[in-house]
Amino acid sequence: MEKKLLLEVKNLVTEFKTDDGYVKAVNDVSFTLYRGETIGIVGESGSGKSVTSLSIMRLIPNPPGRIASGQIIYHTKDGKQIDLTKLSEEDMRKYRGNEISMIFQEPMTSLNPVFTCGDQVAEAIMLHQKKTKKEANEITLKMFEKVKLPNPQRVLDAYPHQLSGGQKQRVMIAMAMSCNPNILIADEPTTALDVTVQATILDLMNQLRNEIESSVIFITHDLGVIAEIADRVIVMYKGKIVEQGAVLDIFSDPKHPYTKSLLACRPPLKIRLRKLPTVVDFMREENGQIIELPTSVSEAINAQVISKAETDARRERLLTGKTLLEVKNLKTWFPSKKNFFGKTTDWVKAVDDVSFNVQEGETLGLVGESGCGKTTLGRTILRLAPAESGEILFEGKNLLDMNASDLKDMRRHMQIIFQDPYSSLNPRMTIGNAIQEPMSVHGIYENEKVRKEKVIELLEKVNMKPEQYSRYPHEFSGGQRQRICIARALALNPRFIICDESVSALDVSVQAQVLNLLIHLREEFKFTYIFISHDLSVVKFMSDRMVVMNKGKIEEMGAADEIYNNPQQDYTKRLINAIPKGELEHIRQRITNLQPTI
Amino acid sequence: MTLGQRADTASVQAIEREFRLNQPWYKRLYFYFNDLSPVSAHKLNDENHPTYLAPNQAHFVKLFTVGEKTIVLKKPDLGRSFQSRRKVSEVLSEKVFATAILALFAMLIASVIGIVIGVFAALRQYSFWDNFILTSSVIGISQPAFFSAFLIAIIFGYYLSALTGLNHQGSLVVLNDYGDEVIVWKNLILPVIALGIRPVGIIAQLTRASMLDVLSQDYVRTARAKGLSYYKVVFKHALRNALNPVLTSISGWLAALLTGAYFIETVFNYDGLGLQTVNSLKNFDFPVVMGGVLFVAVVFVIVNIFTDILYSLLDPRVVIKG
Repeated sequence: MEKKLLLEVKNLVTEFKTDDGYVKAVNDVSFTLYRGETIGIVGESGSGKSVTSLSIMRLIPNPPGRIASGQIIYHTKDGKQIDLTKLSEEDMRKYRGNEISMIFQEPMTSLNPVFTCGDQVAEAIMLHQKKTKKEANEITLKMFEKVKLPNPQRVLDAYPHQLSGGQKQRVMIAMAMSCNPNILIADEPTTALDVTVQATILDLMNQLRNEIESSVIFITHDLGVIAEIADRVIVMYKGKIVEQGAVLDIFSDPKHPYTKSLLACRPPLKIRLRKLPTVVDFMREENGQIIELPTSVSEAINAQVISKAETDARRERLLTGKTLLEVKNLKTWFPSKKNFFGKTTDWVKAVDDVSFNVQEGETLGLVGESGCGKTTLGRTILRLAPAESGEILFEGKNLLDMNASDLKDMRRHMQIIFQDPYSSLNPRMTIGNAIQEPMSVHGIYENEKVRKEKVIELLEKVNMKPEQYSRYPHEFSGGQRQRICIARALALNPRFIICDESVSALDVSVQAQVLNLLIHLREEFKFTYIFISHDLSVVKFMSDRMVVMNKGKIEEMGAADEIYNNPQQDYTKRLINAIPKGELEHIRQRITNLQPTI
Repeated sequence: MTLGQRADTASVQAIEREFRLNQPWYKRLYFYFNDLSPVSAHKLNDENHPTYLAPNQAHFVKLFTVGEKTIVLKKPDLGRSFQSRRKVSEVLSEKVFATAILALFAMLIASVIGIVIGVFAALRQYSFWDNFILTSSVIGISQPAFFSAFLIAIIFGYYLSALTGLNHQGSLVVLNDYGDEVIVWKNLILPVIALGIRPVGIIAQLTRASMLDVLSQDYVRTARAKGLSYYKVVFKHALRNALNPVLTSISGWLAALLTGAYFIETVFNYDGLGLQTVNSLKNFDFPVVMGGVLFVAVVFVIVNIFTDILYSLLDPRVVIKG
């Protein structure tokens, strides 16, 4: 088949005005997109991949942003070439949403809360296809059926808040596809979603792409996701393209050290590693120059493999050791309906009759989809959520029977690291004070001066600099903030830490660094963790034993490797299948499957 | 006061009995609440008792009898004015119209102007006009209503009276030469402006802040990515969301304006609820003052309930549960 050019990006430079002058977010980027092709743009936050896509849509907020130079040439069906950067705003609108459309990262906030989903999709159809309201509604209904929304008629009249995250993303896809665009730009469309939902959305996008023959630019920070969907891959780092090529080539023979690190930093499923390889294993940066280290992906991974014997020995040691936490028949029910007299008549059973124990020094993984009760369980253990009944024995003492002052003492030993590093730090408190606060609340260490020294020590422990003590949270990136949260959790010298989706909001590369830090701290301080996540690959990497939760109940429990290799429940199998594999055979299989349709 | 020149002992005692001034204060308070309540206890067989209800003067339905007292269902009674001996409810209801019109117009105009300049400032953030609107709205908010009222009355109603044709004092409803009640709309203009200045400032600032917040939301970007025109994005997708907090404050202010009207009406000698209350206060006509205050309080409550209902209509995420 002859390849037809659809979009050419030539030497694109997009800048943002800051206090120190213009900063180039996208620096001299060139690539091409052919008809019917899917390219994946991969890179970490701040690498300029989203800015590239917004530049193509001409949606860069101006001021402070602007396209400084370069061309974006769009080839129309009748053979004309149009430079999108030169179009007037009004002309650009004819392409936006019609020939080029976009799906955004956050389905939760990308739909207008005060209009129904049907209205919002129909609006685009009425605008570009000049249909009446009634015709547009019919098309919308068909689109909703196409994206496999359950009960499309109901979704038509539903407001966004009445739908789940995955459903909202389907509405967004329906909106983007409604005018049969030639180019569909998907900017991290699955990042905010659970792994299982991500798998269904990727499936859907693959299907639709074949059906309507549009080209897709798929942007993500996760090479594993790219492996599921793209034909060609573009790797971006600090505003520049560092490598591009066919997906198989990139996966089998990555050239650039950054690509290698992206490939190596995903938690592997089949083997157990001591720590994850990160960017520093592959390259160093000196004065903006990248210095390549002669490590290959497999070398980096193989250096960290833990043998089965080692794993077994560690398990043996843990199981014969002391039991730190014992949870017996724990129930957390939230009232959902009340009768006239305020008596509860119905409950949401967030945690329903759950029992397990955690050995000292062990990491227990807790995995399940959103809404399965894993977060509530974590909070109930710390008594941040009220338990209905059951027992939580921490070193033999029942936390549920404790009064306020005993509990305060107990909390010194148990800490939690939350999911969102952006909202769990007080923006008006310096990070030093944030870390120091729990110390002064519990009155440990003699005075302010000793505490400050201790905080600086902690900052160094989590690989931050002492001079960052009096900075404010907004000056830090997501990964740095999560490290600050970890330092805060460590401030009280706890023995037991709950990590509640602590790495879910982070890029894969940053996630690897934070996971490594957590493991390092576990070895150094002999911590006991409960590690909560929706991503089975991350949980498996971190934990000795794993608990699979579904609808408030435990589905399965056992050694992490065993559950992965030999899952007993359908639910667990589903979680495992949903993980983007990012393995060569897998990609090869997908591409050969695709061949007949092209 | 009530008796005029003939203040003999017998008359004074009769008056004291009529207004229950011979009773201790706690009993008077009880009687007041008793009169106010739709369901109340009265002694119907003793003409001299303070809770006696004359069958020819009051409409009531007997419910049942407890001992000497009868429980009746009646309209709430605010008592009578010391001065005119007319029912307080009558005195007040005559004035409600003028005040309601004043407050509503002030609010309407303040909302329209406030929202328009608020949106304008938000769309041109950090421009000269944005800064100008921000600064002047701060001045507008900071000055007290009676201050601007005097200025406006003197400048437009007095010095420039020949030019504007407006009076610095006057009521909405006046008696003309033939003794008919006529509505003089032009007397509304200056009080409305004086009363509306502060809400304009506040609504403009609120709209600006709320609009800026909404414009940076993801769904506005989605709307733009659909290819909608600038005006459709701003006025359909953004404004609709930005207005929710503004509308709450508008209805909150509507109630507050009723109180603000007390000053304004006094300054402009505008015959409404506020002027009536202030005059009654000067004359120690307490039943009218109490009635006036009570009335404003009730309006506050009703408007706030109305606001909550309105909010649930505007924002589908808000659901009112019983």
